[in-house]
Amino acid sequence: MLLRTGKLLARALPLATAVVVIVIVWQLVVAIFRPHVSLLPPPVLTAHEFWALFASGELFVHTGTSLARVLSAWTITGAIAIPLGLAMGWSRRVERLVDPFVEIFRPISPLAWIPLAILWFGIGEAGKVFVVCVATLFPTLLSTIAGVKRIDPVLVHAGQVLGCTDQPSLFRKVIFPAALPSIVVGLRISFGTGWAAIIAAELVAARSGLGYLIANGMEILRADKVLVGMAMIGILGVCFDALFRSLHRRFSWGEE
Amino acid sequence: MTGASKPLSVRGIAKTNQSRTGEPVEALLPIDLEIAAGEFLVIVGPSGCGKSTLLNVLAGFGEPSRGEARVGDMKIAGPDIDRGMVFQSYALFPWLSVIGNVEFGLERKGVPRRERREIALEHLRLVGLQDFADRGINELSGGMKQRVAIARAFAPEPSIIFMDEPFGALDALTRRFLQRQLLRIWQQYRKTVVFVTHSVPEAITLADRIVVMTARPGRIRRTTAVDLPHPRESTSERFREYERDLYAELDEELAKSFAVEARDLID
Repeated sequence: MLLRTGKLLARALPLATAVVVIVIVWQLVVAIFRPHVSLLPPPVLTAHEFWALFASGELFVHTGTSLARVLSAWTITGAIAIPLGLAMGWSRRVERLVDPFVEIFRPISPLAWIPLAILWFGIGEAGKVFVVCVATLFPTLLSTIAGVKRIDPVLVHAGQVLGCTDQPSLFRKVIFPAALPSIVVGLRISFGTGWAAIIAAELVAARSGLGYLIANGMEILRADKVLVGMAMIGILGVCFDALFRSLHRRFSWGEE
Repeated sequence: MTGASKPLSVRGIAKTNQSRTGEPVEALLPIDLEIAAGEFLVIVGPSGCGKSTLLNVLAGFGEPSRGEARVGDMKIAGPDIDRGMVFQSYALFPWLSVIGNVEFGLERKGVPRRERREIALEHLRLVGLQDFADRGINELSGGMKQRVAIARAFAPEPSIIFMDEPFGALDALTRRFLQRQLLRIWQQYRKTVVFVTHSVPEAITLADRIVVMTARPGRIRRTTAVDLPHPRESTSERFREYERDLYAELDEELAKSFAVEARDLID
């Protein structure tokens, strides 16, 4: 127990230090350059606005909306990319068939899809989910493929001599669990790219979400709202990274 | 159809591989071998002689170019739970616990949960790891891992077990310990075992019969029955005699195998 608390502290301390340093530098910049409050409000004022948005529940609504969009897109692409990645990693034929499409679409930034998404879906939910889908598909897919390819062939042989002689049981009992650590890494990375993409999509076209909060703050010259939105993105990013890291530890069976 | 040990009959199995330039390379010349039910057969030979290739074909991981092999009256075509295997690199499933690994084959055979656990524990007891049943694989040392792998191979009671240099990665003391443990388990279950090794003392310690293979392309140079009672003392005069004999033959093959390698490099 003491050990766990100690470990938690050891991980939280550098983070807390960084926050303190950021606030100090921020305060210094405000003190030295004296920017107009609509451009860069001091930390105290921003904290005040954070509290106001927090207390009114507005912050939760925006955060929840953004999260829901990312989660739904991330789940959809997970359901597609994991089976597809397993197939591509396992079968050279499937890989040769699908890989050219991946090669062509992967270098196109998901942000480049935002205009098309607006044209096709308007500014409703579908367009934003679509953009996040583009952002989350490839990290999950590529990690899954790599995970299957990295499986030691001897593990597959072991599965076969222990009774997994048909493909479905081999996938279920050996290939999927063997690739799982890599799949979790892919899901972690794609959650990050999805989280970045949703903010961008909401900046361009939305009436809700953290990206909207930021864009709206800019339009009405309220940098404090912009900063609150940015802070919230950072806080959630750190939380999800910690969550996925513990998930990854859980699924790497003490190998790393 | 598992349970009783079965004989293995190898008839004219040969394997030709494709080299990188597309030329055929003879890996294995036609091999004929009859292994009795419950026999412990050890194959020794210089590295690259094709003994692992032969074992892989027998386990069903590769088609032979010619010939066929039968376990009992079943022709070998693809891997099967009736033919167990122990690998040099252990090949345990790290996402399962120790006992989860041993239960794997039993579950595939449809053994009910309670019975499965009992059988698995019994096999873990045989390798002295009953207290480690719920540990993770990555908490174990190499020697312990291979003991789990042995328990895992024996638990579903296959007709025959192939072992591909199972102790090759272990230190000498662990190796000696595991050889004895394996012998005890084998004496209890009398499974047909085909065991591949580089080590001459290991072969003499374990084998009913030793097959010496030639340098590449591999074929059988000769077979020797080891007529010594267990447990065999490596210091005994008879043991030494077998050793001298086998080393003499293997030295000759090793010289040939170096010549082959040198030729490959020049070509």
